[in-house]
Amino acid sequence: MKSNLTFDKAFNELKKLVDQIEDDKIQIDTLTEKVEEANELINFCETKLRTIETATNKLRK
Amino acid sequence: MPVITKLSDIATEIDELIQNKYAGKTFWITAELSGVRKILTKSWCYIDFTERNKNGETTIKGVCWARNYYNIELFESTTNTEFKTGIEITCKVSVSFYKAKGYPQLEVLEIDFAHAVGQLELEKQKTLKRLIAEEKTIKYLPDGRCRTANNSLELPKVIQRIALITASNSDGQRDFKNVTLTNKFGYAFSIQEYLTVVQGNSASKLISEKLKLIKQDKFDVVVIVRGGGSDTDFAAFNDYELAKVAATFPIPILTGIGHDRNTSIVDLMARQLRTPTEVGSFIVDRNKSFEDNLLQLQDNFFQAVDDLIVDRKNTLQQFKQTVKNLHPDSILKKGFAIIKSNNKIITNPKDIKVNSELQTILKSEIIHSTVNKKSKNEK
Repeated sequence: MKSNLTFDKAFNELKKLVDQIEDDKIQIDTLTEKVEEANELINFCETKLRTIETATNKLRK
Repeated sequence: MPVITKLSDIATEIDELIQNKYAGKTFWITAELSGVRKILTKSWCYIDFTERNKNGETTIKGVCWARNYYNIELFESTTNTEFKTGIEITCKVSVSFYKAKGYPQLEVLEIDFAHAVGQLELEKQKTLKRLIAEEKTIKYLPDGRCRTANNSLELPKVIQRIALITASNSDGQRDFKNVTLTNKFGYAFSIQEYLTVVQGNSASKLISEKLKLIKQDKFDVVVIVRGGGSDTDFAAFNDYELAKVAATFPIPILTGIGHDRNTSIVDLMARQLRTPTEVGSFIVDRNKSFEDNLLQLQDNFFQAVDDLIVDRKNTLQQFKQTVKNLHPDSILKKGFAIIKSNNKIITNPKDIKVNSELQTILKSEIIHSTVNKKSKNEK
């Protein structure tokens, strides 16, 4: 995963992928590849989100 | 040897003459007070009345005894003017002879306030008109207030650095400092005092001089307070020069000159609050509302962050589910299969002819077969 990737970029990319995966016309050949890519982005987004949550909780104190 | 007449006999004779002429008569006079000596312990007041005209001046001594002394107190409280040398009054007097000192004198019986109030107001209006005419930055507003360069300056959202112009050891000084320095929210203030007299003939000049000492970048506001003890004489604050300095002063000025009935010209040029205590409360309240706004913004900020995080988490959860459901493995697990022919995934049955070689891909195995028949799926 690229190091300069932001949450928003990853999230928007993920949205596009999910749309493509849900599309009936998707070639089954590319499905596996896209699903793997999507999973990677989901992991990235979840990690980022946890970091942001921890940081804002610290600010609140 | 000449015949000696006693002084007291002459005095008695003069007294009789004057009594014959003036007994029971009263006069209304308008004159300047050229000398005022109050005997507070007895409630007496010795006065010199002077009239000036082109032929020179006339002075007659006068007195106000205890029985009419309330007139002086009433005059001072009604007109906000100290009964002192230099002012002009209209009053009712009787004429008598002061035998012990040997001079005729006027006894004050009544003082006309309307005249004094009128004079002061006239003077004030004249000064105001001149200011408006000569200072282009001063605009007279329909509600009787004025817009000036000074009171158009934006007040800082937080006021902490204060230049305080006041009289040393005055109630005004004490009240203002008390309200600000011991505020219950614990806000810190730095107050630099510029002590001066705030009433009397030289007050306006001294206040102007203090103002000029105040450095622009060192203070958020200038506070001018007066009051508490004496409720008389705020003529200094109707002074043309002082008003002009205040109107164009580059730091916002807050006044608490401590009089309810009247607004001075300096009040009109600046931002007027009634009393020193009110100026203090105004500043503390302003800081409080800034802090409240800030806390509110902080709340809103964290709320927005929370909402965003929850929203993204939910969406991610949905994405996760969708992706999982559409993963080829999940599909194969449900009993579906992928059919390949010549290493190509078949999505269109027309691509398959009878006798073609097919691979049917299941979750754990691949089945190789040959097509021996094709028919329509009638469902």
